[in-house]
Amino acid sequence: MKAITEEVAFGWWIRGIHRWSSHLMVAAVILHAIRVFFTGAYRAPRELTWASGALVLLVVLGFGFTGYSLLYEQLSYWGATVAGNLTEAVPLVGPTLARLLRGGGGISENTVTRFFVLHIGILPTALFLLLGLHLLLVRLHGVSEFVFRDEAEKRERTFPFFPDHLLTEVGIGVALTFLLTCLACIFPPGLGERADPVHAPAHIKPEWYFYFTFRWLKWTGLSFAVLSLGLAAFLLVAWPWVDRLLSRLSPKRDLSIGIGLVAVLALLGLTLREALG
Amino acid sequence: MTLEAKKIVVALLSVLFLLSLLVVAWIEGGKQRLVPQPPMELTVESEGCYECHKEKTPGIAAQWADSRHARLGVGCYECHQAKEGEVDGWKHEGRWIATVVTPGDCGRCHAAIQAEFEKSHHAKGGQILGSLDNVLGEIVEGPAATNLGCRQCHGSKIEFAKDPSGQIARGNEGKPLFDTATWPNSGIGRINPDGTLGSCGACHSRHRFAVAMSRRPESCGKCHMGPDHPQAEIYEESKHGIAFAVAVDQGLMSLEGEEWIVGRDYNAAPTCATCHMSATRTQPSTHDPGERISWTLRPEVSKHTEDWERKRERMRDVCSACHTPDWIDAHYRQYDAVVELYNEKFAKPGGRIMAALREAGVLTPTPFDEEIEWTWYFLWHHEGRRMRMGASMMGPDYTQWHGAFEVGHRFYEEFIPQARGLGEGKPQALAVLEEVMGSPEHAWKKGLDPKVREQLSDFYRKKYGQEVR
Repeated sequence: MKAITEEVAFGWWIRGIHRWSSHLMVAAVILHAIRVFFTGAYRAPRELTWASGALVLLVVLGFGFTGYSLLYEQLSYWGATVAGNLTEAVPLVGPTLARLLRGGGGISENTVTRFFVLHIGILPTALFLLLGLHLLLVRLHGVSEFVFRDEAEKRERTFPFFPDHLLTEVGIGVALTFLLTCLACIFPPGLGERADPVHAPAHIKPEWYFYFTFRWLKWTGLSFAVLSLGLAAFLLVAWPWVDRLLSRLSPKRDLSIGIGLVAVLALLGLTLREALG
Repeated sequence: MTLEAKKIVVALLSVLFLLSLLVVAWIEGGKQRLVPQPPMELTVESEGCYECHKEKTPGIAAQWADSRHARLGVGCYECHQAKEGEVDGWKHEGRWIATVVTPGDCGRCHAAIQAEFEKSHHAKGGQILGSLDNVLGEIVEGPAATNLGCRQCHGSKIEFAKDPSGQIARGNEGKPLFDTATWPNSGIGRINPDGTLGSCGACHSRHRFAVAMSRRPESCGKCHMGPDHPQAEIYEESKHGIAFAVAVDQGLMSLEGEEWIVGRDYNAAPTCATCHMSATRTQPSTHDPGERISWTLRPEVSKHTEDWERKRERMRDVCSACHTPDWIDAHYRQYDAVVELYNEKFAKPGGRIMAALREAGVLTPTPFDEEIEWTWYFLWHHEGRRMRMGASMMGPDYTQWHGAFEVGHRFYEEFIPQARGLGEGKPQALAVLEEVMGSPEHAWKKGLDPKVREQLSDFYRKKYGQEVR
C-alpha cells in the first residue's frame, strides 16, 4: 500500500479515486434506497427489484469493509477483530463462519488473503450478478415515477438511447471522475498507523457507514447486536412482502412510511452519536 | 435539457476534467521517489569471477551485486586486476589478479579522492614505529596483541611468507602467501605491497561499498573509541549523537545521496562524516579529515594545527548549517578555554617536571620502566585527551568526570607525590616541582580558603542534612 501510494507512478491518484469512489458508492446506494423506499417504488411489481437492490447495498458495505481491512492499519486490524467477534456471535454457525472468514482462529496474514479474495473475486461476482438482475428488472418493469396526489398523470416519455441517454451517462461519468480527481488531489488518502495486535488504540472508529452498527453494538452488547442487525438486514431485503403484510393489517394507514422514518432517524441518530463522541 | 445543451455541459465537464488532470500531473511531478535500481552490469573479465564466486563465496558476491559498482560495470576484475609479475599478483583462471585491493587500485577511478586521502593523517596511521604506543604494543604487551589490536586500526605493513630460499612462498596457481601477522588487515594507514598507503575498505567496507555505511558514526567508531580517544562515546553523549539516534529510530536520518550536503540534503543530525569530511553549501567533501581541525588534541601539549585559522573557518562553515555565528563563537571560546586549561595547568607543568626528573638522572631512557612514566602517560594520553576531546565535541561527562576530574586526581594524588619521591636529594628537580605547585592555580593544595570551606559545609547541610568536614 505504501508502494502504491508513494512509489508507483500516479498510484496515489488511482488510490485516491478508488478510496473516494468507495465512499460515494456507499452514499449513493443508501440515498437511492431511501428514495425508492419513501416513494413506495418497491411495491408490486418491483419487489424483486428492491430485494436485489437491498442485496447490492449489503454487498457494497461488504466491499467497504473488506477494502479498508486490506490496508492492514490499526483501523483495519481492530475493525476486523470486531467483525470477527460479531460473526462468532451468530447462533449455531457463528464460530465456523468466523473461522472461515478469518482463515484461522485470529486475525492474521490469512485473514488479509481471505479479504482480498472477497474484495476482488467473490464480492465483484455477486455485485455483477445482482446488478445485472437489478437492471434487468428495471428494464422489465420500467423506472417508477413518483406522482403527487394533485399532480396530473404524466404521459409516458421516451427518448433515444443514442445520443440522448448516452450523453447523459457520459456527462455524469465525466462529472464524477472530475469530482473524484478533485477529492483525490485535495484530500489524498494517507496511511494510518500500522496494525499492532498488541496495542488496541484508545479511540478507534470504523468508516462512517458502519458508525451506526458500532454505536448499536456498544449500547446493546454483542449477542443482541448480532441478532438485531441480522433481523434488520432480513427486513431490509424482504420489505416489499413485509409491507404487504402491514397494509393488510392496516389498510388505511401507510405504516411503512412511519417505520421508514423511524429507521432513518435511528440510523442518523446512531451515526451522529458515534461521530460526535 | 435539450440535446445541444447536454453536449455543451458534457464538453465543459470534459474541459474541467482535463484541467484536473494537469493538477494530477503537477502533483505527480513533485513526488520524490526512490529511483529503481538499474540492472547489474558485468564486464567480460568479471563475468567468470562472479558466476563462480556466487557459489564459492555467496556473501561477498551478493554484497557486490547490491552495490553501486555493480550498476556501473565495476566488477571483481576491475578492482582485483594485477599486472603480470606484480609482487602480490598471480594468474587465476587465466587472468592476473591480486588479493589486496589498495588505494592505488581504487585511485584508477577515484584519483582525486586518493590524492586527498594521501595527505591525511589517516594515510600515515600505519607509520607508528617509534611511538610510545608502539613500544607498549610490540614490547610491553606483545606482537600478537599488536597485530589484532593496534594494527587493525593503524594498519599493518603487508608482508609475504618466505620460503627457505628467502623468496615469496607461493601456493596453488602461484598465489603468494601472506605473512599472517600482517594480513588480513583493514587498518586505515595500511602499507600495501604496491607501496600505496591506506585502505579504502577501512571506512567503506568491502564489496558493497555503501556510502551510507561510511557516513554512520559506527564506521569511525571502530577505531575512534576507548579510553585514549573515545570520540564515538563522546559523540553518543553529545546532543549531536542523541539527535542522530532519535533520527535513525524515527526514520528521519538521510544518509544516502551523491553530495549529502548538510542543511540541504539532510538536517536531522550530523555524524562524524558531516563535520570532518562531507560537503557543505560552500565546501566540497574531503577525504582528509584534518582539513577542518584547528587543535591537535593527541600530544602531551595541544597545539594549533598548521594553518589552523583557515581550518577552523572550514569547520565553522559546517556548524553554520544549523548554528548562528554567535553560537559558534561561544562554543569555540568554551572549547579553547578547556584546551588552554589543560595545557597550562597540567600538561606544560607536568612536562617540565618530567624533563627535570630526566635531567636529574632519576629516570632511565627506557619508557614505562618507572611508575611515574605510566602515571604521566595515563594523564596526557588517556585522561588529558578525554578532557580535550570531550570539550571539542560537546560531551560534558567526558570533558569533566572522565576527563578533567581524572586528570586532576592523577596529577595531584599520583604524579606529584611520585615526582616528589623521585626528586629526593635532587634539589634542581624539586625546585621545578615546588615552583609548579607554588603557582596560583595549584595553591588550593595548601589549604582551601575558609570561605569556600564554609560554602561547602553549608551546601551539604542544606541539601542532605549532613555535616561534611
